[in-house]
Amino acid sequence: MSEEILKALTQLFGIITKQDGGVTEKERNFVISFFQQELDQDSIKEYLELYDKNVGYGEENKEDEADEKKKKRKLTSVRDSVKTLAICKKINKTLTQKQKVVVLIKLLELVSSDKNFTPQRMEIIDTVSNVFNIVKNEFKLIESFVIKEKGEDLKEFDEILTVSSETSQEEALHVHADINGEIIFMAVSSVDMYFVKYTGSDEINLNGFIMKTNSVYLFSHGSTIKTPKGAALYYSELIRQFLSDEEAVKLSYNAESIVFQFPNGGIGLRDVNVFEGPGQLVGIMGASGAGKTTLLNVLAGIEKPTKGSIKINGLDLHEDHDQLQGMIGYVAQDDLLIEELTVYQNLYYNAKLCFADLNEEEIHKRVMEVLESLGLDQRKDLKVGSVLDKTISGGQRKRLNIALELIREPAVMFVDEPTSGLSSRDSENVIDLLKELTLKGKLIFVVIHQPSSDIYKMFDKMVIMDTGGYQVFYGHPVEAVTYFKKTTNQVDADRGVCPTCGNVNPEQIFNIIEARVVDEYGQLTNKRKVNPVQWEEFFKENFELKAVKEEKEAPPASLRIPNKLKQSVIFTIRDTLSKISNKQYLLINLLEAPFLALILAFIIKYKSSPDGEEYIFRFNENLPAFLLMSIIVALFMGLSVSAEEIIRDRKILKRESFLNLSWNSYLLSKLTILFTLSAIQTATYVIVGVLILEIKGLTFSFWAILFSVSCFANVLGLNVSSAFRSAVTVYILIPLLLIPQMILSGLLFSFDKLNNVLSTKGKVPIVADLMTSRWAYEALAVDMFKNNEYQQPYFEVEMDEKMADYKSSFLSKKIKEKLQFINNNIEETEEGTTEEVEEAFAIIRNAIKKESYKGNLEGTDVDQHLTKENFSKSVSEQVTTYADQLREHYLEQFNLAVKKKETLQYFFENNEEYDYDINEMKDKYFNESLSDLVRNVSVADRVIEFKGQLIQQIDPVFHVPEEPGNMLNYRTHFFAPQKYFAGGYIDTFYFNILVIWFMSLILYITLYFEALRKLLEKFGSIKFGKK
Amino acid sequence: MRNIFLGLLAAAFLYSCGSKKKPSAEDIAGVLDSVKIEEPAISEEVVSDIIQQIPSPLEISTLLKEAETKYDKSHLNDPDNISNYNSNYKKALALGIYGTDLGYTNIYEQNQDALFYLNSIKSLADDLSIGQFFDIGTIKRLATNSKNLDSLLLITTKNFNSINAYLQDQKRSNLSVLLLTGGWLEALHIICQVSANNPGNKQLEETIGEQKIIMDNVAILLSFYTENDPNIKDLATEMTKLQEEFNKIEIKTVYREPTYEVVDGMLVVKDNSTSEIIMKDENVVAIRKLVRDIRNKIIN
Repeated sequence: MSEEILKALTQLFGIITKQDGGVTEKERNFVISFFQQELDQDSIKEYLELYDKNVGYGEENKEDEADEKKKKRKLTSVRDSVKTLAICKKINKTLTQKQKVVVLIKLLELVSSDKNFTPQRMEIIDTVSNVFNIVKNEFKLIESFVIKEKGEDLKEFDEILTVSSETSQEEALHVHADINGEIIFMAVSSVDMYFVKYTGSDEINLNGFIMKTNSVYLFSHGSTIKTPKGAALYYSELIRQFLSDEEAVKLSYNAESIVFQFPNGGIGLRDVNVFEGPGQLVGIMGASGAGKTTLLNVLAGIEKPTKGSIKINGLDLHEDHDQLQGMIGYVAQDDLLIEELTVYQNLYYNAKLCFADLNEEEIHKRVMEVLESLGLDQRKDLKVGSVLDKTISGGQRKRLNIALELIREPAVMFVDEPTSGLSSRDSENVIDLLKELTLKGKLIFVVIHQPSSDIYKMFDKMVIMDTGGYQVFYGHPVEAVTYFKKTTNQVDADRGVCPTCGNVNPEQIFNIIEARVVDEYGQLTNKRKVNPVQWEEFFKENFELKAVKEEKEAPPASLRIPNKLKQSVIFTIRDTLSKISNKQYLLINLLEAPFLALILAFIIKYKSSPDGEEYIFRFNENLPAFLLMSIIVALFMGLSVSAEEIIRDRKILKRESFLNLSWNSYLLSKLTILFTLSAIQTATYVIVGVLILEIKGLTFSFWAILFSVSCFANVLGLNVSSAFRSAVTVYILIPLLLIPQMILSGLLFSFDKLNNVLSTKGKVPIVADLMTSRWAYEALAVDMFKNNEYQQPYFEVEMDEKMADYKSSFLSKKIKEKLQFINNNIEETEEGTTEEVEEAFAIIRNAIKKESYKGNLEGTDVDQHLTKENFSKSVSEQVTTYADQLREHYLEQFNLAVKKKETLQYFFENNEEYDYDINEMKDKYFNESLSDLVRNVSVADRVIEFKGQLIQQIDPVFHVPEEPGNMLNYRTHFFAPQKYFAGGYIDTFYFNILVIWFMSLILYITLYFEALRKLLEKFGSIKFGKK
Repeated sequence: MRNIFLGLLAAAFLYSCGSKKKPSAEDIAGVLDSVKIEEPAISEEVVSDIIQQIPSPLEISTLLKEAETKYDKSHLNDPDNISNYNSNYKKALALGIYGTDLGYTNIYEQNQDALFYLNSIKSLADDLSIGQFFDIGTIKRLATNSKNLDSLLLITTKNFNSINAYLQDQKRSNLSVLLLTGGWLEALHIICQVSANNPGNKQLEETIGEQKIIMDNVAILLSFYTENDPNIKDLATEMTKLQEEFNKIEIKTVYREPTYEVVDGMLVVKDNSTSEIIMKDENVVAIRKLVRDIRNKIIN
């Protein structure tokens, strides 16, 4: 109770007791005992002083001025009325209606403590109730409940229920033990509260506290009353009494002849029947391995039965899936909570995913209602926390799990071992909660393991399974005990319940079922007295199960799933909140990138100028390696951040699978968050890296590439995450994914010097084309070379220059060389040589065909002309002339290009406007090592022969690939400046980024269809060895 | 945290855009469109002939060694300066300069330094698309052993000759001329410096004076390209100043009949003509200064 309400109460107590005859010792004792209940020892004194001051205690004994006092009293009563009003108004402002009812009851109790019901006192209480806006009828009810001591006197009220020794067993369920006096319950319907008082003198326990005679207690959610004999009365049972008149839910659940076979052939369930109507709490029990959870899963529709049908209101659970949407709730044994979110958030986002048609306020109301009904409203802002880092108790976690299902009000609920790991008090609480739900018409199936007597008795029906999936009992729980006793001819067979304490021992059942044969030495053997098959037969002989009447009415559906876009948004918000609340995760993810950039860039920044005195970007030889590391870092960050995502959510996904939510929306929400994170990570990485290494003017393109790579890694990580079961497997897998990316990036190992099986000279090997790193590296290197501020204006001219140089100096020479070889060896008949001659012809032919300059061969059919058969001296001369012309032609081109470049430089340097210093520009923007790399200057042979083709080795970055015959043939040499695809040339930078995104798209599709998981499952189903 | 991030972002942004005005695409296109290949006014043969008359810079180096002056690295151009040469014009000049420097280090058998020059030469030659003339592997191997000095010298000399021929063949004789100019200028510079350190050495001063003839040839060569190449035009202007200084020197040739002698049973013709160089110290000083200025402009 809050300090405010206590103060107000103390004042009201004072005013009331002051009236008519003043305070008596009894009343004062009531107040003291009330304080003792509510306060610690120190505060009692303080409040008692306040009370005494109000009531004028201690002044009473002064006999003199007695007459004067009497006069005064009249006056004070008016003043007190005003004071009362003021206090009540203050209370009105701060207290909820529920709390006000409590206050009113306390006041009435005070008055009734010494039975001094004077009109003035009652008047004040009446005023209070008026100001509190308590309905007249209810006030009368409350008043009578508090004041009157016998159940008989309260017969007139429907809202009052009396339990005493005379109450029959039927009426009060299991509470029929002999008690002295009566336990009286009252329901105050306007505030949905229950109060209880006990009039006898026994030790009756309410939630573990002894109830005082004639004291009124709040009978809150989940409360239990226990009599000295151990009989218990649960909140749910009480509620049932009050709610019995409510409208019946129309529900039929018929599972007939269910057989279930595991994928490996083992039989999980044999001919199980379950027929239920609404409002039942059905327990499923059995020895371990008897198929309890299997049965639950089959009944819930998670597993499809091999034989038999399950019909809800006549609709098949598996075939009429859409009509039954939202009808079924499933609470798994594990906690399916989002640990980083608060109790409220967990429920709130779940509700948002269930009710598209409700607005914010309605959803909030609904969430709060559910939280209140489960007694979690006080905990609503606590983080759920992990099992190791608990903030709420196990019982509360369980209740929250149930709440998540409850909020959408499924008609049938399945709960798997809700009490495992809970204290007996929490267990009772949870089952009581489920019981209460059945009272509202829900059908609930619960797998239960070793229930206590009290819990066991709470079930309406019990299904008992025996090893091997045999159904050996289905009926009333207490009856189960008598049935098994009877079947085995035990004494006392009629008694299911202990006659003195009323306990049921469920263990007994299993002792009977699993009883083993004793051998002649008195040792237990492994053989059972009655095997499961026999039990099943007994059961079938003794019981006849009938399907309940099928309800034709379609089940009520409260589920309104939002559209896919909205789902994505809700998922995204929920996930973001849970990530933000995890400070460690957030911090590491945000600081990882700049930190890596910092150490990487810092380590490789050295005094690189030729004289070794300062850092100059141009001479930093580590740049090509830095670029590769950047790509690896982007890949690594992208992978590691996403690899656990789906695994972590798997439990929640399982729960939400009953909602039929969109997988696509879920994935998109993941991608939104991961891409955002990747964008931030790569941006911080690039900024720090660029600032330290002084890479100028290329920040955005650098980022664009790393971002694309990181996004690709995100999608890859999600694929892995969806395919594997544990995070550890995934982390072991990361090197397996990353190392090929490093090997085949194109920097560490030259593509021309890979295993012959893989490599094609002059083209990037296809295995490398599967690597993002290779596309990213090419894009990065080519872009940095081509588009830096120094190179950019010269690039085209230099390209002309270098290509013309290649053709005039090397291509023409090579053609002549080959021609010479043909002239020398055409007459040879030796096998090896003739092949070489053919090869030489092919080389010349291909070289001429590829060449745009035709010279004297314009219009000649090279294919036909340049063959061994048609070769003659004149052809030889023709080709020689062509080679010379080719050389001349490109020499001219070369000289022109060189001159252009010189002129351009001269123009820049000698133009006041530009402030251009070529050395300064080059130092700042150009990197020698990168240039050497993309120009492949270290290569010994500038042109090589491969399969009848001449392949240019030098200057790949200036070599625009020829148009391939096939529109979709994207393959080129590494570091090509442009790519030809689908009828046009595309800049390498854009082309490669598109390729990376295309790869991401493909991976998204495999993710959507969970291709990797299915593939792994296929591999998994291949059996090794004999077993 | 966020502030730091924004700050970094802003810094990176500012960093990426400088304050300089950048040439627009139109400017560049305008410049490039005007470029045409123009043949020099003079035929390649004439150029070739004149080039042949200019002695190899190595000869000057040999002279220095014979004069018993000491090896002084400070006279040479630092091989690390290579990063300063970013246009073909500069590269060609620098290639000439380094060629002379390589010869100088070779004569004094400074193999380590020679290797540095070789590297720079190879790199420049590659950039000028004439790298095929330097088989760096062979040269390095030769250079590590001083006994191979002769072959190394032979190779490099031969290489420079072949480069000249090749460039002329490729119609890039302008580069050839620059190569030569650079080489000669560097040789002249070294002599000037050495003679400054050895003021009493008349022979060195005379050698400087003798360069007058070569100066004229160089000036003629450069003049062929001034119209097409603004860079060469600038260089030629500088050279003209040097030529003016050289013109203050007078060379008198006194002709005498050649005599015949029999040496080891062979008939040898002996040229008895002598040339007298008339020059003042101030001429040498002025030349030395001019040469240093022109060279500095090129190498930095």
